[in-house]
Amino acid sequence: MGLRDILTGRHTVQGPAPDRLFAITTAYITLQSEHQIDPSGKAAIVFQALATSEFESTLRDMEEVVTATGSDSGTKVSTEDDSYGYRWMVLHNPAGAPSVEDLAVGINAVSSSIETAGYGERLLCAVFAFEDARKQRVYFIYNYKRGYWYPFVPAAGQQQQRSTERELQIKAQIASELPIEPELERWFPLWGIPI
Amino acid sequence: MAKPRSSFGKDTGLQARMLLTLFLLGLVYVVFIGVLFAAGAGAGLIVIVALVLLLAQLFGSDKIAMATLGVKEVSPAEEPELHAIIERLCVQANLPKPKVAVIETSMPNACAMGKSKKATTVCATRGILQLLSPAELEGVMAHELTHVINRDVMVMTLASFFATLASLIAQFALFFGGGFGGGYGRNRNEEEDIMIVLLVSVIVYAISFLLLRALSRYREFAADRGSAVLTGRPSALASALLKISGTIERVPSQDLRKAEGMSAFFIIPARTKKSLMNIFSDHPPLEQRLAALERLESQLQSAA
Repeated sequence: MGLRDILTGRHTVQGPAPDRLFAITTAYITLQSEHQIDPSGKAAIVFQALATSEFESTLRDMEEVVTATGSDSGTKVSTEDDSYGYRWMVLHNPAGAPSVEDLAVGINAVSSSIETAGYGERLLCAVFAFEDARKQRVYFIYNYKRGYWYPFVPAAGQQQQRSTERELQIKAQIASELPIEPELERWFPLWGIPI
Repeated sequence: MAKPRSSFGKDTGLQARMLLTLFLLGLVYVVFIGVLFAAGAGAGLIVIVALVLLLAQLFGSDKIAMATLGVKEVSPAEEPELHAIIERLCVQANLPKPKVAVIETSMPNACAMGKSKKATTVCATRGILQLLSPAELEGVMAHELTHVINRDVMVMTLASFFATLASLIAQFALFFGGGFGGGYGRNRNEEEDIMIVLLVSVIVYAISFLLLRALSRYREFAADRGSAVLTGRPSALASALLKISGTIERVPSQDLRKAEGMSAFFIIPARTKKSLMNIFSDHPPLEQRLAALERLESQLQSAA
């Protein structure tokens, strides 16, 4: 932010950082084979849905594209709005064939069509769901503004508590393969993830 | 990939007015410094006093405000919804997460304090948490975060430095009979100098007061705009402003008098009566803010 922007109070929302979404497609192999953290076959992308007819039509086109490209792998798409007014587009691979690559391709199709339509700054994050050996949900969240990943582990059985210890362990395990958000204060939790 | 395109138009008019105000303020200050130097020594002490005041204001004002307002920091477990809203806005604005606080009062309002992105507290009153829907609350919080992003506390404090200095000199001269040149044995020439400095100080203070108020109003518009850009929902903020102002006018005036001094921090000034003249006001009138938000919404709807 330059001096002139400060003086005039001008503020623009930053668009997405260089894309490092596909880092998950190699990192998950290590997660699975060495750390017993298995992909659950679900991923989601979260964005601000503008209440304009143009944005809605962009979304409809996009859903068709994702459904079409996903038909080979059997990926299903569903959308829902959360209580904060953010839209979740959930990609779901059928059981037995959980392919992180397919999910990443689908998520990328959604994000790039939003960007192509000129709404890149509305993208919040992408979430990939995993499960560890103790059946504990482990999420990997990709922050579009930063271009970094971070793990998010909600504590089992407790409302709005996260297991920071487990998250830091996972960071240590995977940091060499996944670009992890270096600033811990930006590991924002996402409560009520619908996947 | 297509070139990123903005959903909103440019705010050239607002920026031009803001730059003009800053320019005029600078001009007044330059004249003022010139007069001070022409008057020679004696003013040095006052400049130092003003500098100390400025630093104290810059580094201590948020702490004083937090102490007097009864601001209580809240954990994510206590206020999950407020935290979730702010976290998402921080991701959206690419900001580190500020401290989140609540003021236990039924008056609906919100404020942001702190001089930098790293050391910020955003507060909401209990009243605003109960009054607004999540989307409206998000709009209000985005307005406050935009104040932080735009470094409004810093800009306003620095911009008011010479106004503070001028008012100090005027008061000093009045109370001590213009005695800052050293009491006895003054000649006629020095007396005249002091009178000129006093006069100029009063004028500088008056002009810069009006300019600062104008600047403050422009920055409110900029923060409203920033909120709309951040959330993509200008109408949610408009609806929130309507709800808040409607309630504020219904709150008993005794509460308001207590809160009067803090209005610069708030999203809506805590005042019952309409100001005599808009030029004395540090917040723009509600109708103008709503009109600006309506323009943003129609820009958003017709962006194609």
